[in-house]
This record gives sequence, C-alpha cells and structure tokens, in this order.
Amino acid sequence: MIISTNWLADYVQLPGTVDDLVERLLMSGLNHEATWAVGGDTAVEIEVTSNRPDCLGHIGVAREAAVLYGRPLHVPDPRPLEAGGEAARSVTVVIEAGDVCPFYTARVIRGVRVGPSPAWLVDRLATVGIASVNNVVDVTNYVMLESGQPLHAFDLAKIRGGRIVVRRAVEGEPFTAINHKTYTLSERMAVIADGERPVALAGVMGGADTEIGPETTDVLLESAQFAPLPVRAAARGLALASASSYRFERGPDPAMVDWASRRAAAMILELAGGTLDRGAVAAGVLACAPATIPLVASRVSDVLGVEVPASRQADILTQLGFVEEPGSPDRIRRYRAPSWRRDCWREIDLVEEIARIEGYDRVPEDAVIAARPVELSAREVTLRRAGEVLVGAGLCEAMTRSVVTEASAATPSPWGEADPLVIAPALVRGADRLRRSLLPSLLEARAGNVAAGIDDADLFEIARGYLARRETSAAGPVEEPLLASFVVGGEFARAKGLVDAVLGGLGVAGGTSRLEWRPLDLSPLARGRAAEVRLVRSGHAPARIAVVGEVAAAELGRLGLRGPVSAAELRLDALEFAAALERPLVKPSDFPAVDRDINVVVDASVPWGDVEAAIHAAAGELLDTCRLVQVWEDAERLGAGRKSFVVALTLRSAAGTLSGEEAGRVVDAVVAECGRRVGATLRG
Amino acid sequence: MTAAVPLDAFLADLERLRADAERTLAGAADAAAVEAARVEFLGARSGRLKAIQKALGGLAVADKPAGGRHFNDVKTAIGALLATAQERLGAPGHDVLSAIDVTLPGTPVLRGHLHPITRTIRRVQEIMGRLGFESVDGPEVEDQWHNFEALAISPEHPARDPLDNFYLAVARGADPLLLRSQTSTVQIRVMENREPPLRIVSLGRVYRPDTADATHYPMFHQVEGLLVEPGTTMAHLKSVLRLFASSFLGGDVRVRFRPSFFPFTEPSVEVDMEWGGRWVEMGGAGMVDPAVLEAVGYDPDVVSGFAFGLGVERIAARRHGVDDIRDFYRNDVRFLRQF
Repeated sequence: MIISTNWLADYVQLPGTVDDLVERLLMSGLNHEATWAVGGDTAVEIEVTSNRPDCLGHIGVAREAAVLYGRPLHVPDPRPLEAGGEAARSVTVVIEAGDVCPFYTARVIRGVRVGPSPAWLVDRLATVGIASVNNVVDVTNYVMLESGQPLHAFDLAKIRGGRIVVRRAVEGEPFTAINHKTYTLSERMAVIADGERPVALAGVMGGADTEIGPETTDVLLESAQFAPLPVRAAARGLALASASSYRFERGPDPAMVDWASRRAAAMILELAGGTLDRGAVAAGVLACAPATIPLVASRVSDVLGVEVPASRQADILTQLGFVEEPGSPDRIRRYRAPSWRRDCWREIDLVEEIARIEGYDRVPEDAVIAARPVELSAREVTLRRAGEVLVGAGLCEAMTRSVVTEASAATPSPWGEADPLVIAPALVRGADRLRRSLLPSLLEARAGNVAAGIDDADLFEIARGYLARRETSAAGPVEEPLLASFVVGGEFARAKGLVDAVLGGLGVAGGTSRLEWRPLDLSPLARGRAAEVRLVRSGHAPARIAVVGEVAAAELGRLGLRGPVSAAELRLDALEFAAALERPLVKPSDFPAVDRDINVVVDASVPWGDVEAAIHAAAGELLDTCRLVQVWEDAERLGAGRKSFVVALTLRSAAGTLSGEEAGRVVDAVVAECGRRVGATLRG
Repeated sequence: MTAAVPLDAFLADLERLRADAERTLAGAADAAAVEAARVEFLGARSGRLKAIQKALGGLAVADKPAGGRHFNDVKTAIGALLATAQERLGAPGHDVLSAIDVTLPGTPVLRGHLHPITRTIRRVQEIMGRLGFESVDGPEVEDQWHNFEALAISPEHPARDPLDNFYLAVARGADPLLLRSQTSTVQIRVMENREPPLRIVSLGRVYRPDTADATHYPMFHQVEGLLVEPGTTMAHLKSVLRLFASSFLGGDVRVRFRPSFFPFTEPSVEVDMEWGGRWVEMGGAGMVDPAVLEAVGYDPDVVSGFAFGLGVERIAARRHGVDDIRDFYRNDVRFLRQF
C-alpha cells in the first residue's frame, strides 16, 4: 500500500516529519518499505498485514496516525444531491449466489461528461502510482484508496436489460476484461452479469464491453461485498490480481460499502456533472457483526509482562474506535469492536491492540528463565555421528532438493518399490517427484562439479527419502526414512570403508547384533560391484540398512563422470537404536601379542567373509586382530579356480603371555576350522 | 701383575677431561675448531676419552662399576657439548646434513566440511540447548490439521491456497497432504503428545512455492522455538531472544519487537536484532495463540507460551556474506570447502 502524505493530511494534522510518522507506524504494525518524493508530495510505501484491510485505505492509515499522535480524525460525510428519478425503476439487482456476494448496491448517475480529471486528482493518483484514465474511473480508484472499499463503474447504456445478476461463473464461460484479454472462467469464481452475459469478474475486474468511455453518459456505480474465496480463485487462477481483489481477499470495512458509494457519487457529480438517481438499488444483507469483547485489566500484564494502567488501556481502545459498553464493572470492561476491525473478537486481540500502541519497547528483556535439562534425541545423536565420520573422512556435506524430476525419481530406490509421490505445483521446473533415494541427486551434484572443472567432489548428504506406503497404515500413507548417502571417487573398497566407519561410529554392530554383507543388483550401482548390508539383531527380522557399490559405467557416462565412482546410502532411522546402547569397555591386555601369518587356499568362489567368520570362531577370545594382507589367484601355483588369502593374525591373551605352543594351537584350530567350513588348505 | 689404577686418579682424569672439553668447545670459534675438538676428545683411534677408557680396564674389580658409571656420564656430557657447539656454529653435524626444504608441501589431508546451513542450525541448537530447549523433528509430509487447522489458519486464509503450497497427489482419506510450509507443525505434534512445561526447537526443511531468486528458494530451513510454561509473558520471549542474539552474534545485542500478524501467535511481532549497527529482521515471534493451546488440549487459562521462528538461510547468508541463497544448493565444493 502506497500512501500520499498530502492525502493523509486531509484527515489528520500531523505535527512531526514524514520520518517520524514512518517510524511510529513501523513500531505500531505498519512496516515501512520505502519513501520517495513525487512532485510536491511524498509517497510512503507500507506493508499491511493480512489482518488489517482497514489500512488498505488512507482513512485507515490516518486513523492509526491520529491515535499515535493523539490528534483528532476528520472523515467526511458525503451527502450527494439525489435529484434524479428512482434508481430502482431503471435498474434491478439480483444476487443468485449469496455465498459469494452477501450484499450489493448500485447507484445511477445520468448525463455525466467523461473527460480528464483535475490536476489535484491526477497528482494524488500519480503519487500512489496509478495512472489517470478519466474523471469517472479516477473517482472509483480514488475512493477505493481512500476507504479501502473497491468500486466499479459500468456504462449503464451497455448493461443489457438494466439488470445486474451476481452469480457463480459457468464452467468454461469466456470473459473479456478491461485489459482486453479473454479468460475462461470456472465455477469457483463469481461474475456480475447483465441480462445476457458477464460484465465483470466479481471483485476482481470489470469487463471490456461495459467500461466507461468518452461516449458514456449514464453510469452504474457498484459498491458491494464479495467473499474472499471466489475472488482469490479468480485472481490466482487467472493470474489477474488487482487492487480490488487484494482488498476483497482481506475483507474491507462493511460500513464503507455505502459510504464509498455516496462519496464516489458526490465526486462524480462534482467532477463530471450529471444527476444522481434517488436511492441505491441494494440486494442481500450487509454482513456486519462487530464483536463485544470482555477485557480483564490484569490480563494485559499477564501477557506482556509489564503493567499498563486500566485507564490507559481504555484510552487506547477508545481512540482505536472500540466502544466501551456502558455499565461495565471496573475489573472487567466490555468493548464493542469497530466495523473495520473484524480481526478483533477475543480478549487477546484487545491485549495486542493495547500492546502495539503502548509500544513493545516497554516489555522488559531481563526476565529470568529457570534452567532445564536438555538431552539430544537419538536421531540427533545418530545423524551427528554419521556426519562427523564422513566429514572426518574428507567429504563435503551437500544439500540437494527433496523434489526431483521424473527421470531422476525413476532410479530404483533401495528402500521400496512403490512409485514416487507426486506434488503440484512442481518445486522447480520439471521437479515434481518426492525422491526415494538421495543418490541420483548426489550423482548430479558431483557431475555439476565436474562441469565446473572439479573432479574430486566427494559429497555426502543427510536428508529424508519419501516412500509411499502400500496400504493405508495408521502412520499415514508416507514413510520418511532418514538417509545418509555419499558419492566418492574410487572403487568399491573406499565406499565400503566409509560405510564401515559410519556403522562403527554409530556402534551398530556388537553384542547381539551383527552386520551381513551380501551381493546386490540395483541400478545405478554396477552389477557385481555392489552390496547390501543387513543388520541381524536378536529379536528383529534381518533388515537392509545400507547399500554400497561402484556406480555403473552407463550411469557415469550419462552424467559425464569419470570412474571409478562409488556410492552408498544408509538408513539412519533404522540405526537410531544404537544411540542409546551402552557398550561395556574392554580393558586392553597388558600382555604381549604374538603375530602369526597364515596363507589359506580356497576355492575361488569362497568369499572372504566366510573365511573370516571361521577364523573368528576358531580363535575365539585369543584373536586380537585378523587382517587380510593379500588375495591372489595363480593357476600355475595354486591350481585353476583356486585363490589364496594371506592373513596376518595377532593373538593375545588377557590372562597372561601366550607361549609359542599356545599360539601354534590357535593357528592349528583356525586352519582346521577353515578347512571344515570352506575346504581351505594351508599353503607353504 | 701391575698394581690397579687408583679410582681417585681415574676420576680426577675424567673430570679434567670434562673441564677441558667444556672449555675447548665453548671457545671454539668455527666449525674447524669444533671438528678438531671432536678429534681430540672423542676421536675413535687416539682421542683422549679412548685413552681413559683403557685405564678403565685397569681399575680394581670393586671400583669398576663406579668408574664405568662416571665414564659413561662424561662421555654423554661431552657428546652433548659437541652437539651444542655444532648447532651453535652451524657445523655440518648429523641432523643438519639431512635438513629438508620446509617449504615443500606436507602430506595432504583432505578436510571435510559441514554445510553452512547445518553449521548455522547446530549453532542455534547449541545456544537454545543451553537455554533448556530440546531439538525435535517431525514429518515433512503433513496433513491439514498440523499444517493449518491446529495453527488457527482457517480454510479461507490465503496461506492455504493450493497455489501457495505443494500438495501431494495422494491423500489420507479425504484429507489432502502437503509438504509442510513451516516447522510449527512439529510444535503441534509435540504439544499433542506431551504436557507442559515444554521447551523445544523444531527445525528442518520447509517448502513454499516461491520462484527461486537471490533471496527466495522454494525449499528452505526453519528453526522454531516454543516454550509453554505457566506464567510465561512476552518479557520471557524478549529475554530469551536477547540471550540468543547475544550468544549468536556476540556482545550485548539489543532486540526490538515490531507488531506483526501470524495466525498462530497473538500478540505477534517481528523480531529485529542489532547487527553491524543496523536493525536486522531475524524472524517472527509471539505469544502462542489461545486457540492453538486449545487445539492441542491445553488450557489457556492455566498455561501460556511463546514461539519464534528464524529463517536459517537468511541468517547463514548474512553471517557468511552469501549474497544469493541459491548458492547454498549449488553444491559447488569450491563454495562448500570454505566453511
């Protein structure tokens, strides 16, 4: 809302500077956007919150200023001479849809001379950024900007049948607005029609067919109430927002419907001549029911934390237009809200009015807050630990969009097969699918870096995925797993090492839980170079908690990435349980370790994991560490289809120094168990 | 058999040797003098220490441990004196011979970086944690009740317009679902499940259909605080925000309230903090609207509370001098590695 300070001075005489006015308005709820000079006038743009449609007119702003400066407010009381015939004889008004238009009035002015507006009117409109059209149209704009009540003037000669019908639009009905564009209407919108066709989009814009032009002599002046929803449906649905729709979406002062009509009629008579017909043709019932609100004086300090004397409370409310009901007891006063403050209907609303006029700078800022214990949630602990490990490993945290393109969303998710969820409108162009995995976004982010000439962007992200639940469960149709994902340069082993580090950092395995690595075939990971990690936990079904793998060559090629690139995604929400686990400390042994290397030969199909499990089972508590040193295949020396694992074992006892013989017995047991489980033989 | 060397004489020789070495090395004026001293005292073939070592063998058996101890002490001491002298004169001693070019690069350690948005959120969490506020989280896909109705946002309110929200194609029965447009939804969920007293900060991603530009992005982060305790007033709100601002920005930061409007708070205010000599808008706040307290089953006559919300991108941008918030989502590591 742009206000003219000259215009404001018509209603209230202000002693201070414009800057002082701006500051006072700012601190009482009308935010300042900008101030600039226009000719001999000053324009001040203020931001009016949606609860204050009264301040979408100069009178409303003047009323605020009058209260802030303690000055009287002068609002004119227009009484135009009704020298013509009975308006209702030539015009009929019918409201067919009372839900979109509770109240409609029409005045008729005959014999006007449409022409240019006087300079003062042109100037005032120019200050607030509105171009002059002609004297009649300018008056309707002027009165709207004065009162906050939108008006519309029709050329009465073009209203067929002298009939005004307010109804819902017919689905698909065409309408040409005064901007000479044609719109297709929906039944969510409302129109003003004459005997034959729509002549205005109710509350939004008039029609081209009936607009005021140089040839106009008779004017039908509309002043009405329109409900917010059909107005918004039209303004938003057709991208046709106007000063009028903006006000009707917020609800102008009902008392201004008639006032604005009289005011505009008087100004048209003065500026364009003509004769006003007697009376306004009205239909419907004016919706205006100001609330009566009780206020307990002590309530103000209960909310604000500062005392405002009861007499001062009463002064503020009275100046704002609230009327104290006679016979109120002193402790509980009752106030009737003014018609322009339909946002005030509860005691707390009165408290806010008192607070904003009294000023929030009176609220103390040294109140005491008692100390309270705070704990980090398991989720916070989990996502922080995972992030710490990945940052420690040199990765950068990325943030990518939760909503992706259809192509990106089509990438299979490790977490569910249901189709991605669709939203409207799209988040950004083309992106209207909630992602089921973060990996496609991270691969795209890595590709974006490559395009910028950076080949080593190792990125991770911790964010939600969104999965449609198959059946409507009590938890709702959408599951939101918390995912930690990364994309790094390097082969499978690097990604596996990072996953191990995260899982180790979370303390997931151990005690009654263990991890199980299994081959996985899941795009965009390369077949034969990918795995899933399952958590096997007593009392729970084994569950996939991570996928890891090298990114398939085709995917790399599509994104312009050079391999090898590996990726992983972990389901952190499934790992939150570990945050609460207390792992018992294992006291390090004081006794020396014994190192033994073994070289076991197995069939090429035997996975290392099986050999490792056999070693752990056989060596038991005496196994300190078991490190795979080398894997090699050599048909000549090992035989075709065989491979060898060179393993460095470190043995150590917590009870005493291991002798060579004891160590030898452990190694024998390990070799025997490997033989039993996976047919391993000891080499050399 | 010759008579044993007397211990006294042996020790006296050692001390004389030590004194001579001290004097000679301290007086050595150049590397050549140091080297000459090294040959004189520690020379492998004809050094004076070598000569005394021979005398060590001549000590009586009972005297040998004491003599050996002293011999070793003196040998160590002279070695140290030599090193000191070499260092002093820059003589080509053992360590100096292998001196390295200290300007050569170190073994690279790739440092990872948390995203500036995460860092800002953590900092807010940490400060609010000290004030007794616990971090909570909730779903991003929300229903009408939690995103609007419980927050006193009526069906006619413009905030509910389909064009101003991201609605899902699926619904829960007849209830449309949407991506949450504010994290206040989490506050409703916590209040529905817990009784006061309550102090929480809810944080996370929120979604509003804004066209992306330097100051808008359709996905952004909010941090919202909520305190519900009997006897809470706006003075508590202002005090908590002042403590927050002073911790976050450093120094004694002033806080200013300007009247505003939000459906779920009453009174509602915009919060300005003094930053760099100017008032900077940090977010919105207010007393929890009685209608919201009633919606979650609290009695507004018994408890009251306040809530405030901060836009994380805005704070992070200002803090780090980022002039286009889209940079936060470009994921260019040249940007990310600066945090």
